[in-house]
Formats: sequence, structure tokens, C-alpha cells
Amino acid sequence: MIQLKNLSKVFRTELIETHALRQIELQVSEGEFVALTGPSGSGKSTLLNVLGTLEHFDEGDYLLDGQSVRGLSDRQLSALRNEKIGFIFQGFNLIKDYSLLDNIELPLRYRGISASDRKRRALEALELVGLAARKDYHPSQLSGGQQQRVAIARAIAGQPRILLADEPTGNLDSLMARQVMELLEQINRQGCTILMVTHDPDQARRASRQVQIVDGQLSDAAMYDPLAAKLA
Amino acid sequence: MEQFFYYLKVSWVSIKRAPLPYALTVFILSLGLGVFFANATFYYQLNSDPLPHKSDKLFFPMMMLVPYECADCKPPSVLSYANVQKLKSSDIPTAEAAMYSSDGYLRLDSTALPTPVKVRLTEPDFFHMLEVPLLHGAIWPDSKNRQEIVLSKAMAEKMFGSTDVVGKQLLLDDRSFAVVAVLDDWQMLPRLYDANNGNHVNEVEDVYIPLETGYDLNYLSNTQSQTFDDADYRKLASDGRSKALHQLQYWVQLDTEAQQQAYQQFMANLAEDEKKAGRHPSPVNNQLPAMRNIVAYFGGESGDIKAFALVTLLFLVVCLFNASHLSLNRYLSNQYEFSLRRALGASRWQLQQQMLADVLLMTVFAISGALLIGFGGTALMNYLWPINALFARWDLTLMLFLLALTFAASYLVTLYPALRASFGALNQQLKE
Repeated sequence: MIQLKNLSKVFRTELIETHALRQIELQVSEGEFVALTGPSGSGKSTLLNVLGTLEHFDEGDYLLDGQSVRGLSDRQLSALRNEKIGFIFQGFNLIKDYSLLDNIELPLRYRGISASDRKRRALEALELVGLAARKDYHPSQLSGGQQQRVAIARAIAGQPRILLADEPTGNLDSLMARQVMELLEQINRQGCTILMVTHDPDQARRASRQVQIVDGQLSDAAMYDPLAAKLA
Repeated sequence: MEQFFYYLKVSWVSIKRAPLPYALTVFILSLGLGVFFANATFYYQLNSDPLPHKSDKLFFPMMMLVPYECADCKPPSVLSYANVQKLKSSDIPTAEAAMYSSDGYLRLDSTALPTPVKVRLTEPDFFHMLEVPLLHGAIWPDSKNRQEIVLSKAMAEKMFGSTDVVGKQLLLDDRSFAVVAVLDDWQMLPRLYDANNGNHVNEVEDVYIPLETGYDLNYLSNTQSQTFDDADYRKLASDGRSKALHQLQYWVQLDTEAQQQAYQQFMANLAEDEKKAGRHPSPVNNQLPAMRNIVAYFGGESGDIKAFALVTLLFLVVCLFNASHLSLNRYLSNQYEFSLRRALGASRWQLQQQMLADVLLMTVFAISGALLIGFGGTALMNYLWPINALFARWDLTLMLFLLALTFAASYLVTLYPALRASFGALNQQLKE
């Protein structure tokens, strides 16, 4: 489903060049739950952003469903993001002035879905994350865990085939984190492919595959263990 | 349509999020536009053409028919009675009228208080050439001496309390005149037929009497009279008609190019004949400016208004820069929302549509503020330059222009900030 071929990404400033990703080769099949791990600054989030077409890459190729995303227009990339990819951010990124329902409807609006269908899908997604009764609440009225569940509802309301989660439990306590992970596993069981960046080895172990990134290079080897890294 | 209302709602929510910076942006934009509006009103009205379909067919002939020699003099802008008769000998013009203005006092009878009035002494073609609308009665068939008067609508209402007063008598400077016609509402702005004296910014006259009556009753011009010989100003009926006493404006209507060329040839021939007769000592210098260019020809364009137009334009540019800067700050503080929408699938085009909704709302607020400030500015200018007060009026064309300008200004103020926000690094914003 996802295929990265010799993909590289360089951040350039006037003074320095930073190789964020080096010759990445990665294949992700439909329905997989992949955990991306590695130390801070290793390129995990950059890889996730490239996969979500939020960042361009410099070399190599990225094929989604067999089609290269290189050279797609802004309109095509936007449509691809809107229809195939759902995002979950560490900081939730909910718009505080909107109700939960309005927040969840946001990606559906840009797809030209009718108002009634939008509302139905948003309510279904809220139902799934257990917050349907609070559809008219605003994000500030919810706990961090609840906000992340709303963000997940927003990500899945459009029934994307891929869910990209960037440290989705990074701002949550352990109880909330567990609930969010259970939710992601449930979504994965329903057939949605998930790629999740995490620092937490326990969460990474719950994924079907772990991929480690160090200095922008990818390794399918052992899970990155921050404690071991410290000792070394 | 639902999506459009959604965009408006998003704009409104964004305004409510930080109302003060938004209000400041709108205020600065309104201030620049309002000051510009106030000046543009005067500029537009002063430079408007009250007879756009005809102003290139009405001409103001001038010749050096004066009893003195001057190599590089401009011909006088007013003609003597004798010169007008010579010009009238041509049958080329479709219409022609000599005229001048004077002052008088009007009253119903000798017991009533006199009302000061502006008088135009002219000929019947004046009304035809300038398409003056008649409400009642008829204009004199010729300009022979007759004690008949034409009243403006306002003056008829003031004197008699009504407009249907044809046949009634009143006193002009204690001489009895019969009302033969009442004009309908007429306000030629600018009054181009009087531009040679710089009076084109004044209101039209209150009453009209035949030219010959004016000469016989010794009405001297209240704007420009000059004599180049021993003519006695007090003997207008005799010296005024025969000597070099210049006070007449003269307009001719030349409808076609052929007529205009023929008339110029006629003027050239007349100048030659006068030279031969010894009445044209100066080099030939005939002028025939069209009404369309008459203000510029006599240098009557207001320097104050022009300079102020430039200043207000520069002020508007400064305000646009400031408003744009404030707008940029507002957009950048909302950039995460732009990035989020982009990440969730909004294309740049959809964000531009959102921006258009922002522009629309800003236009509504800015035009309201600008009209208020423009109204105040106009009142201030009326106070400072009362002579221009007549031109402080807004018509539909001007309003549409101002609306279009406000939309363009709002678009400019929003364009760059919105582009900056929609082209920002998505991942960085979302991470922060």
C-alpha cells in the first residue's frame, strides 16, 4: 500500500544542510500497524510528514496505492490527504472556537459531502470514541484524553485508509494513553493502516511491526529502547 | 452556497477571536479610504462633464479683435458687442448665444423686500445649447429688448410660492418684468459656460433676461468688463454696443468636423478682413476651445484639490501598508488553523475562497467606516472651502466606484497575509 523507494529529505538553510531522511526503503501493507521509533531528531516525524504529503521529499519516490505522489498538483495532494489519510497530532490540533461536531466535520467539508451526510458521519465517529453525548461541547471543556479521542474521531470520520499518528499519547497520562491505544487498535482491527510515531517502547510493542529510525536511516532491527541508548 | 456561508462563519469566528486588532485594521483602512473618498468626491464632481454627449460640439471663439498691438498676447476671453455681431454674421453654427452675468434685486411689488438675485443676460440659444429644462412657458423667440424674465424653479417658488407663474409680473431693480417661463430643476455642474471667469464652481443663475434688454437697461457684467478705448461703462446702450467694451461670453454649437473647420476658416477670414480695415493690429491669434476642455484651457482646475488629491492618495497607500501589516500579524497568529485545514485536505484554492469571504466582510466594515469618515471629511472641506460645497454630492457612479475601490483595498490588505499564511510550513505549525 505504501512504498518508499530510496527516499531522502534534506533541510537546507543558508549555512547548513541537514539530512533528515537518507535513502529510506519502506513498504507498508494494507491493515498493518507500524510503530516508528527512534531518538529525538532522528527523522520520525519528518518521515510521517512525508507520508502524509505535508512535506516534500528531495530524492527517491513515494508510491501510495502504486501511484507516485511526486509531481502531483496542490489540488491532487489536498484531495489525497482528504480522502486517504487521517492525521492525529500530539497536540490534538482542535479548533477551540468550534464544537466537537464542527471540528470533526472539518475534513468532510473540503470533500463536498452534504450537510446531513457530514453530520451522520461525524456523529458515528464521535459514537466510536464514546463522546457522542458531548457533540456540542467545545474542546476546552474536555480533558486531554477526551480531546485526543475527538482528534481521532476527526481523523477517521472520512474513513481514510491510512492513519498517521504523531506521538498521539505524548501529552496524556498513562490511563488516557492506554484508552487511546485501545482505540487505535480497534480502528486498526477494522482494516485501517496505522503508522504511529512513539517514544514509548510499551506502545511500540503493541504495533504489528516496529521500525526504528536513527540519524534519518531506517532499520527493521530491534526496537529502539531509550534506556538501552542511555546506558550505551 | 452552504459552503460560502460556512466561509463567512469562519471569518466571523476569526474576527471574534481577536476583535481589537481586527477593529484597528478596519479603522486604518476606513480612515485612508474615507479621506480619499472625501477628496475623490470633489475631484470627481469638479472634473465631471455635465454634457458628455455635446461638450465636444460647443465652442468658445476668441479673437484678437482689440485696438492695441501685442505680439504674444492671448486674445481676451470676453468679446465686445460689435465683435459678437461680426461673428454672428456667419451662418455656420447650428446655434449661438452671447451672454454675461450681472446682479439685481427682485421683488413682487414696491412694498416687498428686495431679494438679491444672480442674473444671466443671454439669448434663446443659450437654453437650447445647454439643454436647459423648461417647466412652464416658453423662452423669448429672439434676444430683442423686452421686459420679460425667465425664473429658475427655486426663485419662482421663493417669489410666488408656486412654479406655474407665467404671465405674472414682478420687479427687477424696480423695473416691471413679465414672467414668460419657469425652468425645471437644473444645476449644471460644473457650470462650464462660465469657466472663462473661473465661476464654473458656482450655482446657476436665478433669473434670465434678454441680452439686448441688459444692454438697454445698462446692466454691467459682474465678473469681467474691460474697455480698450474711451468707452463709458455707464453708457452700455450706446458705447457698450459700438466701442471696445468687452464683457460678452460667446458660445457656438458646431456639430460636425466640417462645421468646425469651416468656422475656423471663417474666423481666419474675419481676422484678415479686420486687419485690412485696420482694426486688428496684433498678429492673428484665433482660439476655439471646446467646452470639454474649457476649464483646463483657462487654467481653472483647482490646484488645492489637485494637491490634496495627491496627498490623500499617498495617505491611502500608507494606510494600506499599515492595515496590511496588521492583517499579516492577525493571519500569522491564525496560521496553525490554515495549516490544519491544509493538512485535513483543504486545497489552496479553497483557502483562497475562505480569504474572499474575509475580504467581503472587511469590505462591508470598511465601506461603512469609510463612508462615515468621508461624510465627515466632506463636511470639513465644505467648511474650509465653501466655494466647492456645491460639489460635495455622491451619485450612484461615484458610490459604485468607491465600493469597488474598497473591495480592491480590502483584497490587497488581505491578499499578501493570506498567501503567507496558506504557504506556511504545514508540519511546523501543527507541531507547535
